[in-house]
Amino acid sequence: MSERTKKGSGGEGTGAESAPVHHDDHHHEASFWRTYVFSTDHKVIGIQYGVTALLFLLFGFTLMMLMRWQLAYPGQAFPLQWLADLLGPDRMPDGIMLPEFYNQLGAMHGTIMVFLGVVPLAVGAFGNYVMPLQIGAPDMAFPKLNMASYWVYFAGGVTMLVSFFVPGGAANSGWTSYAPLSVIATTGQTVWLLGMVLLITSSLLGSVNFIVTIIQLRAEGLTFMRLPFFVWAQFVTSFLLLLAFPPLEAAGVLQLMDRLAGTSFFLPSGLVVSGVPLDVAGGGSPLLWQHLFWFLAHPEVYVLILPAMGIVAEVIANNTRKPLWGYKSIVYATVFLGFMSFIVWAHHMFLTGMGTTISTFFQTTTMIISVPSIVILTALLLSLWGGSIRFNTPMLFALSFLPMFGIGGLTGLPLGLAPPDIHLHDTYYVIGHFHYVVAPGTLMALFAGVYYWYPKVTGRTMNESLGKIHFWGSFIFLNGVFMPMFIQGLAGVSRRLYDGGQIYAHAQEVLYLNEVMSVSSWLLGLAQIPFIINFFMSVRKGKKAEANHWQATTLDWSATTSPPLAHGNFETVPHVHRGPYEYSVPGAKRDFLPQDQRAEA
Amino acid sequence: MEIPYTATARPDTGLYNGKLGIWLFLASEVMLFGALFSSYILLRVGAPVWPHGSELLNVPLATINTVVLISSSVTMVMSWASLMMKDFSKYRMYMGFTILLSFVFLVIKYFEYTSKFSHDIFPSTSTFYAIYFTMTGLHGLHVIGGIVVNAYLWGPGNKMWKSDPQRFTNRVEIAGLYWHFVDLVWIFLFPVLYLL
Amino acid sequence: MSLKAFHILFIALSVLLSIVLSALALYQFTLGGSGLNLVWAVTGIGSAIGLIVYGVRFLRKLRDVSFL
Ligand code: HEM
Ligand SMILES: [Cu+2]
Repeated sequence: MSERTKKGSGGEGTGAESAPVHHDDHHHEASFWRTYVFSTDHKVIGIQYGVTALLFLLFGFTLMMLMRWQLAYPGQAFPLQWLADLLGPDRMPDGIMLPEFYNQLGAMHGTIMVFLGVVPLAVGAFGNYVMPLQIGAPDMAFPKLNMASYWVYFAGGVTMLVSFFVPGGAANSGWTSYAPLSVIATTGQTVWLLGMVLLITSSLLGSVNFIVTIIQLRAEGLTFMRLPFFVWAQFVTSFLLLLAFPPLEAAGVLQLMDRLAGTSFFLPSGLVVSGVPLDVAGGGSPLLWQHLFWFLAHPEVYVLILPAMGIVAEVIANNTRKPLWGYKSIVYATVFLGFMSFIVWAHHMFLTGMGTTISTFFQTTTMIISVPSIVILTALLLSLWGGSIRFNTPMLFALSFLPMFGIGGLTGLPLGLAPPDIHLHDTYYVIGHFHYVVAPGTLMALFAGVYYWYPKVTGRTMNESLGKIHFWGSFIFLNGVFMPMFIQGLAGVSRRLYDGGQIYAHAQEVLYLNEVMSVSSWLLGLAQIPFIINFFMSVRKGKKAEANHWQATTLDWSATTSPPLAHGNFETVPHVHRGPYEYSVPGAKRDFLPQDQRAEA
Repeated sequence: MEIPYTATARPDTGLYNGKLGIWLFLASEVMLFGALFSSYILLRVGAPVWPHGSELLNVPLATINTVVLISSSVTMVMSWASLMMKDFSKYRMYMGFTILLSFVFLVIKYFEYTSKFSHDIFPSTSTFYAIYFTMTGLHGLHVIGGIVVNAYLWGPGNKMWKSDPQRFTNRVEIAGLYWHFVDLVWIFLFPVLYLL
Repeated sequence: MSLKAFHILFIALSVLLSIVLSALALYQFTLGGSGLNLVWAVTGIGSAIGLIVYGVRFLRKLRDVSFL
């Protein structure tokens, strides 16, 4: 990272190669704070998002590794004495995890992974850094809002971390925060709600910015049907964030009112807690929370997956050296998916007694929405056909996304039909399903993105051997963690059990899998070490990358240096003359035609 | 390199960046208040009895407030129109009126609230009052937000009129769009909470 | 949509509100309400007409401003 700013400020100081484009007021030396901390440059903000989100991912993962000890060896003292001491007797007396602490870990793992890890990395980092480059824009449309978006996100993250230290610990009602449990929960829940309000605000600022940037700042000649698919994915994602998050914000406000002002939006009449009738007016509806929550949270799952698909599309087209198969179908499918994702939310609520008519509606829409997902997946798969594939690290990660997302998506179909869902709801099968989409799916795609754009960001490449170790370790152990969940779930083991199902007769047959999964998760942790080393080492020691390191066609690679200029990204404003994936065009001199290249004579 | 279309419209979309941005923001606000209105409907449908707003709330005061807000929209649009006609002092006057009227709205709202509190009526009293206080409270916060923006454009922010009049006019338009939205929310809140 | 267009929409909805208000008052009057209801009803109609007149004049004044 020091490298990219050195280049950037060098270009600015001498003004030699960039004098014609920015002769305005950028010449004074920007202070350290303005350059690195409160920067309005989309690239710096993207890096800030990326590093913060990766740290949160690691943290959320650590919470899960702790939980897995309790699940594999319920009630046994934790082997790392110092860690148990550090967590203290309120959480792990004598090294044994308290149920209350287990619940906190579960709730915060989900919250952190989704809202502080994956989305900020997929949208905040990749979207922020890559999208303006791919559309040939000098920056985001509203750079100050962009900075505000990051810092509000940061504040939300800090709020979530602080919640571990309030009396009663962090939120412990699950990432779904179902009422009425969450309303009567300890103070941590209030802090959670405040944190969520911050995170929602941040993503609203971000999504407005993304949409305006994509619509308004496209380079000349870059029509919508010439946008790289990654940009399309970010575009639809931003709409989902923009329109689905506000209802959760409303729900958060209502729950805050319930907790702080004594209202009963989510508290039914006659609620009895621990044998004592609750002293509230009553008359509220716990199901209201579920509706508002899932109205956000279903579109949210597409927020998790679409940017991943965008990354995979870029990497696959680049490494097969072929155009994407069915670019238009993918785009239309994505837009359709975006619309549909607003009318499937109650498939999470089949067991709430909402009646067969409503269930039928949501079953139908759920079956319909799986079609575009399959269109996209199939198109990506067919894109491989007949290509001479370059198996570099980003490509390995991108390739693994296809079957992993396939498993995740296909296991969702039974869940979308009420009859099987009666059996499967709230079991480990559901956990397996959505983790296959977000972990072996999205996370692998995000890793692909890190390896793919690292040379662009830092000017240096990551080490291939370490990358391949990282890939195989992650791939094997991710499956080791999540595949057994399907087996346990089909056997009827419920999710969110403190002892991993020990006290249930029907779980006995599949209990041994708990240890398999836990050991896999710890090995998965080890498998990340090569990545961490590689990530930091390559900043200085990596091989120097060329401007167009992967010989790609899109503007982020073809029209600017690695790393791009600090202000304004491009030396000259690029003009776009062709579609995004013109690889191996018959008769062309090279096997790729960059978007900003004029027709060859 | 400058960011394009901050002040002038992009030819193929016909919009400058800020206008598109504010409309997107308003779309998300529609979803926010839409969710609250939906919650209102769901709670009301599920309740065995639901009071008539007109029997519990102060309809005359709310009617006055409705008039106040509609007038403030008119003055808001006038302030923008004055800028289009290059009449800066008229802009100041109309914008000043807009801010004044927003304060009148808040003061009346304050009296409504405190008279409820003095009768021992709080959000926790019943689901009706809970939704009443939450929705009007959230709307009130939006009014305060509007006052802050408008006051900035009336006072320190108006320097831009000299340096970049086009952009300043755009800013006032954006603030006006937001303000109209806030007033529109009230146009819905008023009958739903006070009359039905 | 420019502020001009939004303003017209807003005025139209305000007209609608006034009419609904006066209809409601009239309805209450027919149910045997007081004369005050009648006053409300007339005021509602009056303000609706006033708003329409204003709207037309507004449109005339800003004839040259785009709706976009
Ligand atoms: C492709 C078609 C998909 C279908 C038909 C589908 C269907 C479902 C259904 C019906 C449930 C609720 C199960 C239950 O609670 O009983 C569910 C849960 C879930 N799905 Fe999917 N899904 C699909 C794709 C995805 C994707 C792409 C993601 C994320 C990237 C995802 C993430 C989740 C999550 C997070 C949950 C569980 C939420 C919780 O209860 O905590 N799903 N899915
Ligand atoms: Cu869903």
